[in-house]
Amino acid sequence: MKRLPALLLAMVMVFSLAACQSQKPPASNTPGNDPNKPVSEQSADDILSTKEYLKTYKTSFSSSYASFNYFSTAYATVRSIVANCIDGLVEPDIYGVYIPSLAEKWEHNEDQTVWTFYIRKGVNWVDHTGADTGLSVTAQDFVDGIRYIGDPLNGAYSLRVVRNLIEGLYDYYWDLDDIDCGDKTDMTREQALARFNDMVGVKALDEYTVQYTLTSSAPYFLSLIESSMLLLPVEYDYAVAQGEDFAVDNEHMLYCGGYYISHFERDKAITLSKNPLYWDLEHITVDTVEYQMIPEGTTSLEMFKRGEVDSVSVEAEEYLTLQGTEWANGLIPTERSLSTNYLWLDFAGANPEFNTFVQNENFRKALQYSLDRVAIASLRDPVNPQRILRGTINAEDCIYDSNGMDYTDYPVLKAIKETDYNNPKLARQYMETAVSELCDEEGNIKGISATQVDYLPVGTFSVDAKLPVTVIYVGTDDENEIVMAQLMKSMVEEAIGKDLIDFQIVCFSGWTYGTVADPLNYDIYFDSLSTGYADPSGLLTRMTTDGAENVGCYTVPEYDELVDRAMEADTFEKRLAYFAEAEAYLCNGAYVIPFISSLRGYYMTNCMPFTSPLTLYGNSKFKGTLVMDRPLTLAEYNTLDAAYELARAEALKAD
Amino acid sequence: MRKYILSRILRSLITVAIVFVAVFMLLRLMPLSGYFPQEILKETDEATRMTYLRNQGLLDHPLLQLWRFLQRLFQGDLGRSLTVYPKVPISTLLKEKIPVTAAFGFASMVTGIVLGIALGLLMVRYKDKWGDRAGTVYILLVRAIPSLIYLFFIQVWVSKWFHLPLVFYKNRPSSWILPTICLSLGSIAYYALWLRRFMVDEENRDYVKFAQVKGLSKKEVLRRHVFKNAVIPLTVYIPTDLLFIISGSLIIETLYAIPGTGGLLTSAIKAQDNNLVQVIVLMYAVLSVVGVFLGDLLVAFVDPRIKLTEGE
Repeated sequence: MKRLPALLLAMVMVFSLAACQSQKPPASNTPGNDPNKPVSEQSADDILSTKEYLKTYKTSFSSSYASFNYFSTAYATVRSIVANCIDGLVEPDIYGVYIPSLAEKWEHNEDQTVWTFYIRKGVNWVDHTGADTGLSVTAQDFVDGIRYIGDPLNGAYSLRVVRNLIEGLYDYYWDLDDIDCGDKTDMTREQALARFNDMVGVKALDEYTVQYTLTSSAPYFLSLIESSMLLLPVEYDYAVAQGEDFAVDNEHMLYCGGYYISHFERDKAITLSKNPLYWDLEHITVDTVEYQMIPEGTTSLEMFKRGEVDSVSVEAEEYLTLQGTEWANGLIPTERSLSTNYLWLDFAGANPEFNTFVQNENFRKALQYSLDRVAIASLRDPVNPQRILRGTINAEDCIYDSNGMDYTDYPVLKAIKETDYNNPKLARQYMETAVSELCDEEGNIKGISATQVDYLPVGTFSVDAKLPVTVIYVGTDDENEIVMAQLMKSMVEEAIGKDLIDFQIVCFSGWTYGTVADPLNYDIYFDSLSTGYADPSGLLTRMTTDGAENVGCYTVPEYDELVDRAMEADTFEKRLAYFAEAEAYLCNGAYVIPFISSLRGYYMTNCMPFTSPLTLYGNSKFKGTLVMDRPLTLAEYNTLDAAYELARAEALKAD
Repeated sequence: MRKYILSRILRSLITVAIVFVAVFMLLRLMPLSGYFPQEILKETDEATRMTYLRNQGLLDHPLLQLWRFLQRLFQGDLGRSLTVYPKVPISTLLKEKIPVTAAFGFASMVTGIVLGIALGLLMVRYKDKWGDRAGTVYILLVRAIPSLIYLFFIQVWVSKWFHLPLVFYKNRPSSWILPTICLSLGSIAYYALWLRRFMVDEENRDYVKFAQVKGLSKKEVLRRHVFKNAVIPLTVYIPTDLLFIISGSLIIETLYAIPGTGGLLTSAIKAQDNNLVQVIVLMYAVLSVVGVFLGDLLVAFVDPRIKLTEGE
């Protein structure tokens, strides 16, 4: 009996002694140790020319790759894999200018409603071992992609834009659906399927020429090809033969991109290997991309420090803890985000106090002017919060007219960009005006009575139909969002005054779109929207009175009319001008309150920046990626960034 | 005994059926919007969403859906995941995930029992001395400190000190050590605490004093009598660990990136993946019932004084 305790004790002592040892990061993994001369003296060419690059890139993912079916999977994670494994017709170069991919060249008619693409010859599909299947990528594969998504039984997601844009696809889809429901009995399903070639505006003119006929002018069509997985090709017979198994893992799909998925371990690891038959092999600079799942952010950071992954994102808190350490000079600010964070106001909710006030523009403006956006942005970037601010719905630096003018620089939107919305005095004035219009002298809100507000499953709330106005902010239980909500509460109550507004926060652990937003169980909630392709219609047509994105159920006929005019405009410049007016109308009326972009913090990387395609609307590609054996330093990044921005401006001008 | 076993099996089947049908029906009360992730809800119109749901059979009468599920189940088809892993066969998912979780669960159960009993014995052997106090400190730390704190400490610092991998890799045996230790910390404390308590109780019994009066040494009394009797109440919990072995730990699997079943049920419920929830609930219900049943049998086996039926 004595031996066992002694053994245990010995184990504990060994454990403790060993624990006293320490380990430093390897010298080769320390930022800034490599350059032959001080970074400040280096040019971009020096930095690029003095490196040897690795052939394997190790990265991580935090949430599951549920499936690789690029037609019926909504998850953004899937796009990042598919972007590297299935090529589209075109792709952006490192400056974001569209260059040939599977299409060698393309043309369109004058009003940009008919687009013709000439497909590259000699490109074959490969399987998950990289072996040639003998099946060529042809124009028919692009036609079949649309055929696949046009059948409701294939369950394609995110159809709205493509289904409405490609001529005849909308009717083809709903005819099939009517037949499936039994509502249409004058033809069989087979007959309806056979009508595809005649009915839908996508045709294989010959083996290597595909033509899209669109329902309206689409100068942004190339960006849609980049952003939408629904316009990718498919080997139809193969996909149909796989049935429901199509692309559920790496073994049930075919590849025509720079990489194929050679190894897939669900929720654990994915390996992309260089496609030996790829048409652009010389630009595939990394042979193998190794993904591993790291659900926990801090673990990723530690793994980067130990050299086990080549890049990591760094949140604000981590950024602060890294200051003063040897890693501080490797922290690079994230570059851009097309996603905008905004507050949704509920125009049809059950809270009579909020419902009365939200219809009043002065009240909405009071909310709009009470937010100190810089303070909110500081939660994400304590060093340079200004770069996160955004007052418009569409992101800047992604939609340009034919003169190269940024859409958000159109005068009405530029005015919004330049407005300082942090104005507590003005917020109070707006609120006082709203109160004078909506309340009697004793502070009773006109036309309503005290009641119990049923926002279940979020909760129930008592309102007394008197000032202060009760506002229920319903957020998630995410730690960062709770801090942001608390900050907003203090800002709003301080600016408007607790005598006039009672901003209540509910952190609902069961928050989903289906439990809170869709059934209108909130007064205010926080969400984000992304500019999906190089045209404001992607967002703005969804925000009309009957639009899918009008979650708050406002009614703004003036906005709807401007959107209609934009859609009917005969030139792209007029279209953008109308859209700009419409967007400004929504923002100035504070129907929604955009306040910051979704840009988050910083990152550290072993990759040379600006060497792979600038994928504004799609997901990053590994084509051209250069992996170093040490982290990039901020000084190096800044030098390269300056040179890149000059070159990009030139490239965009020449485009 | 045979009658007892048959009656228990029958009652177990009824319990499992009630649990399963209740969960199945409750899932059908959830809002239809819950079947879609937020991006899809906003991007897709109502009609398209209804088309999708109808094609998945989710708009059919719940009893019809139940009948279809049972038919498929008896043909050995567990169906496909709806939302968490769209269209992936559930049998494939379970085949991939259960072995990983079970391997860790089994390793941690063995570690927990062996080290827990060893620590319990140490505490009894050195009652009110250093061994007892050290054990008590350990138990207090494990039970009182929020587990995330020490689990995180172990993952980041202990892995660094001992040059162990930060996360789990199937082909690197050294990466199994920390998750196994983390998984067993709680059960070590549990077994040590209760073994000590039961043994201290037993030590005060008359038969122990009688044995010592007869001249047996304390060590011999502890080994031959006290330990055997004290360990009996603990055996009942061992089969119930069966469920734990399969269900995994959400926190530890997340920390060490273990592709197991931890959190699978939670994810499935949150994403309203009816098919996946049904199968997991059915599996867990069966395992729970079997675990309790085996516990009863094991107790009767290790302690012949315990009778499961009257008249035996």
